[in-house]
Amino acid sequence: MAWLGPEEWQAVALSLKVSFWATLVALPLGIFTAYALARWRFPGKQVVNGLVHLPLILPPVVTGYLLLLTFGTTGPVGGLLEQVGIVFAFRWTGAALAAGVMAFPLMVRAIRLSIEAVDPKLEEAAATLGAPRAWVFVTVTLPLILPGVLAGAILAFAKAMGEFGATITFVSNIPGQTQTLPSAVYAFLQVPGGEGPAMRLVIVSVVIAMGALLLSEVVARRAAARVAGG
Amino acid sequence: MRTDPWCQYSVGMMGLLRQYVGLALAALLAGPVAADEITVFAAASLKTALDEVADGFEAAAGHEVTVSYAGSSALARQIELGAPADVFISANPDWMDRLEEAGTIEPETRIDLLGNRIVLIAHGQGEPVEIGAGMDLGAMLGEGRLAMALVDAVPAGIYGKAALESLGQWQAVEGRVVQSDNVRAALKLVAIGEAPMGVVYATDAAAEAGVSVLGEFPEDSHPPIVYPAAAMNGRVGPMVAEFLGYLQSGAAREVFERHGFTVLAD
Repeated sequence: MAWLGPEEWQAVALSLKVSFWATLVALPLGIFTAYALARWRFPGKQVVNGLVHLPLILPPVVTGYLLLLTFGTTGPVGGLLEQVGIVFAFRWTGAALAAGVMAFPLMVRAIRLSIEAVDPKLEEAAATLGAPRAWVFVTVTLPLILPGVLAGAILAFAKAMGEFGATITFVSNIPGQTQTLPSAVYAFLQVPGGEGPAMRLVIVSVVIAMGALLLSEVVARRAAARVAGG
Repeated sequence: MRTDPWCQYSVGMMGLLRQYVGLALAALLAGPVAADEITVFAAASLKTALDEVADGFEAAAGHEVTVSYAGSSALARQIELGAPADVFISANPDWMDRLEEAGTIEPETRIDLLGNRIVLIAHGQGEPVEIGAGMDLGAMLGEGRLAMALVDAVPAGIYGKAALESLGQWQAVEGRVVQSDNVRAALKLVAIGEAPMGVVYATDAAAEAGVSVLGEFPEDSHPPIVYPAAAMNGRVGPMVAEFLGYLQSGAAREVFERHGFTVLAD
């Protein structure tokens, strides 16, 4: 794409990287949380449910500020992590953390719905035949919920691509490090005459979002067909 | 007599729907602005001071003032697209120039209302330093970051970058600058200690107890910081003129100066 300047191209590449890692790292955690919320009964379940959904309800700026207070270099968690060499504040990893946290509730909701739709008798049948619990999950539950997992992952990726408020509050807007696609659009719109580059980036994000959506439709349909056929 | 419960139900639904549509329309159509109300669009950095000035004007003149605060860029774009502002106060001349070229403002009402300074701040209590070409900001920062507003987009960041460049400090700190979407967010980063130092307006530093001012940047190290004000095209009436007059009055001057602004208009 020759019509994108280096700084714009950098923002697109960074956004893809941030969203990819945010989705990848959040996915196992999301499946686990969704499974726990759908199948297990434990004290404090409603509290966990509330915490998972908090980023969906709070203003993104507030989520970003809480992340900064917690995971910043002076924060309780960030300070400990810094000692083992993990730094989130003002790095692309922090942008991925913010995007992952913001996308998490959407991912969990999608996966949880698909787990609740699975007949527990199927899992019980496998268990009575002697399969360990984890093996039941991998061989019975996971294939059945695959369309839901894919939908959740794509939704999370799309949300991560568009995340702005928490990102700019937590890791600010450093070109090449934390300037994601939405931050770049925002910065361009602050300058008189910045409409051109901003519009180019808007077109890129629409193309990426539509592409991800189409891809997820195709993949989900194939997965559903395979589950039905198998 | 035959009653049809389904029929009753659907009538009930229709009634509800009609009420709902009525309500929604009423909400949409409501709100033609009262005749003695002024709508001001003002740069976010003016908030504390202008709120006080607006209160003073309301008490003195008996007109209602509604102020919408945001970044100058966002406000200018909203005005371009027809937002119902009577008066616009921008944090930098570029956006006002653009509206003037587009014929959106009344050029003869435009005044340079306020001036401001940029300062170097530190988290907590810091030792004052001589701000000039002789300082070594890179060494002062150490491993830490320098918090600023977007250096290519937000006025406070643009002025700060210009000042650091003219003092020969920019190259040393460029890679360690964290850019916030507005100057108050940069101020916050220093206040909570995530960045040990920052460059903000003098007026911002005065409003935050968690930071100390290390020094003011020399006035000739950056373009003058000017807040122009103007009435919008076709909205000049006695009330708007009165408000613009009040902004330049002694009462308003006292408030602006108390908050750290320089009053340019007289």
